[in-house]
Amino acid sequence: MTGTPAGGNRGAGGTASPTVDPRQAELPHEGTAELADGAVSADDAVSADGAGPADGAVFADGARPAEPAPGPGAPRLGLVGWLRWGWRQLTSMRTALVLLFLLAVASVPGSVLPQEGVDPSAVSQYYAAHPALAPILNRLSLFSVFAAPWFAAIYLLLFLSLAGCVLPRTFRLVGAARQQPPRAPRRLARLPMAVSYVSPLPPAEALSSAGRLLGGKRFRLRTGDGWVSAEKGYLREVGNLLFHIALLALLVSVGLGGIFGYKANRLLVAGQSFANTPTALDVFRPGRLVSPSNLQPFSVALQSFSATYVSSGPQLDEPETFNAALRYSAAPNSPTRGFALRVNHPLTVDGVSVYLIGHGYAPEFKVTDGAGNVVFNGAVPFIPVEQAGLTSEGVVKVPDAAPSQLGFAGVFLPTAADQNGRLVSEFPAAQNPRVSLVSYAGNLGLNTGQSQSVYQLDLSGMHRLSVAPRPLAVGQSMTLPNGAGKITFTGYRQWISLAVTYDPGQLPALISGILALAGLILSFMVRRRRVFVRAAAGPDGHTVVEVGGLARSDAAGGFEVEFAELARELRTAQDGITESVSSDNDQSLSIREGE
Amino acid sequence: MSRLSRRAAGGITLAAAVMLAVAGCTGGPIGQNTPQSSGQSFVSGSGTNFYKTGSRPVAPDISGTTLTGQHLSLASYRGSVVILNFWGSWCGPCRAEAPDLEALAAHFQPHGVRFLGIDIRDDPTGADAFEHTFGVTYPSLNDPGDEIALAFRGTVPPAAIPTTLVIDRSGRIAARIVGSVTYNGAKALITPVAAEHPVTTDGAAR
Repeated sequence: MTGTPAGGNRGAGGTASPTVDPRQAELPHEGTAELADGAVSADDAVSADGAGPADGAVFADGARPAEPAPGPGAPRLGLVGWLRWGWRQLTSMRTALVLLFLLAVASVPGSVLPQEGVDPSAVSQYYAAHPALAPILNRLSLFSVFAAPWFAAIYLLLFLSLAGCVLPRTFRLVGAARQQPPRAPRRLARLPMAVSYVSPLPPAEALSSAGRLLGGKRFRLRTGDGWVSAEKGYLREVGNLLFHIALLALLVSVGLGGIFGYKANRLLVAGQSFANTPTALDVFRPGRLVSPSNLQPFSVALQSFSATYVSSGPQLDEPETFNAALRYSAAPNSPTRGFALRVNHPLTVDGVSVYLIGHGYAPEFKVTDGAGNVVFNGAVPFIPVEQAGLTSEGVVKVPDAAPSQLGFAGVFLPTAADQNGRLVSEFPAAQNPRVSLVSYAGNLGLNTGQSQSVYQLDLSGMHRLSVAPRPLAVGQSMTLPNGAGKITFTGYRQWISLAVTYDPGQLPALISGILALAGLILSFMVRRRRVFVRAAAGPDGHTVVEVGGLARSDAAGGFEVEFAELARELRTAQDGITESVSSDNDQSLSIREGE
Repeated sequence: MSRLSRRAAGGITLAAAVMLAVAGCTGGPIGQNTPQSSGQSFVSGSGTNFYKTGSRPVAPDISGTTLTGQHLSLASYRGSVVILNFWGSWCGPCRAEAPDLEALAAHFQPHGVRFLGIDIRDDPTGADAFEHTFGVTYPSLNDPGDEIALAFRGTVPPAAIPTTLVIDRSGRIAARIVGSVTYNGAKALITPVAAEHPVTTDGAAR
């Protein structure tokens, strides 16, 4: 038995001339184009339908088929029409891309400017450094970009756009994944890959043999009168579907995290402790459905903090290591444990992450008032105003001093040095700590009930005391004029600032992200491919078997090889016992490949 | 549009999703009735809740050391109405309400109403100076680790500094005032609670 070379039907020129088979030159983009070939038979049309839009991209592209016009006359857009048009625009990929770009641009100030929600003390520093600009930036919500109304608008629109695009696609993909293989085209020779040969088996048996073989190779089968249609590679649709569902899950997880999660900040001086309850937090930003009365009840104590800095070389003054020795307990009366908190090594308690985000110095002062009473004795966190030497500024408020309230604006220099008559800090570690204070007396404005920043003095009711600001070393005191009292620099401690973050959507978002990636890879790697077999009695009484193949995407070649192997196996199975007679199998079984 | 750009679209979608995840973790500051701290580095706010007799949460039994070094527990006040005031010497609203609280304490003393302060986030020296300045006669527990504030978790916790809780004679929280109290406002709130009789079925303070 010798097979008829399929390519022979067209002559040698068929493979060379691009006009004979133009569909290969221009890669079809929707499945509908793939079988649309010259004479489209009824069968072809059916199979073309089957291809559907399912093979499409993740997004419907901008070139989405237009909505059919409502009538032959002038199309009038009613309210519904406009709404539909608006929805289409919103859920188009172009809009999503524009929104995505806007979101990226809108995030830029969030990484350039200090953020209230991340590092409030940095915002205070910025206010101090740019007193004119800061209020304007604040009005534009640039210190809390991710909470700004305009950011929320972009975010919500993108969310809507994605959801509006992904949901309908998901339904379509479910349909595509459950689809039957299409009917076999009438003329298999027209397919990109086709083989024809003669089999000794009667047509029905040849077909059932082909069905068994293809079915054994996990093709999805459909049979009809004189044909078998088989399709494989539905995992592509599964991958596509997985990607879309995971994307939705991702959106939902992120949303849930925002609703049920919260963020908080707390500055903690070495030796202090705090519990995760609103009054103990400096900043508390709960999600919409967070009950402040039910935060995870852990408490954290800072035993000590150490930082080391590069002391020579080009990276002089850069921090090398930070290590905060914590003791924490997950709930009242539960055992306390130690934890070494470092940058990017957060403490996780009860699903809440506690990050180390900053550090600084808290000089300790003892203030004796004019009546001789000790009215203040404690550590006051100062905020670094520059990183190289950690020069820090802060204020000391002594509201209970008599006869009048006292206030001090101070600068703390960890390693003080005289630089051309100016006192600066040369190194971030406290090697020669000095504090320089400007003293005020009067009314701090605290007793009126206004909430004040603990880092600022309201000088409207204060007058400056005429005492030369002399840098104090540890243990030194400064006596205030007119018997107003005395302030002693008794020592210093270090503080850390902590970001407390609870985001229940984090893990689901991570899992969704991984699944989305897996789905995406799957949909790129797996090709949908179809094999059609037709068998009919030929004029000489033999059965003429035609095998056609079609890969439904251009992703990576290789189907040719698979098809050749399949065709060979099909033929071998159908050759029955006469299989070995033909010695020129390889030459006669030529596979026509379109250019 | 070619398939390539569709594939790019897929990648971009994923990037979008990842970005959303990143951006999403910094949600909005959506307070409930707890206003934000706006740079003053503590949570402040205002608002009053009153609970009817049937729906009052039981106050936890708290105890601690007073600023003068004595041990004191809330349970020892059972049978009295207790006004629990969370304060700090550094907090402006706390200083503003201090004279009113002292006046209320004097006014309600004959009616079996006791006042108890909870000094939070404070240093003992500053707290003593505060008490001296305002002539505070009632005791305050020191709560440096926020254990007392935490004990109110799940009931009616202090939501800001200052917060004042009114605890009835059966050990149940009858009202919460977040923010400075005023003499008249607090008096109107405390008077009906002080007039109540303790419930006979005592399910209060453990």
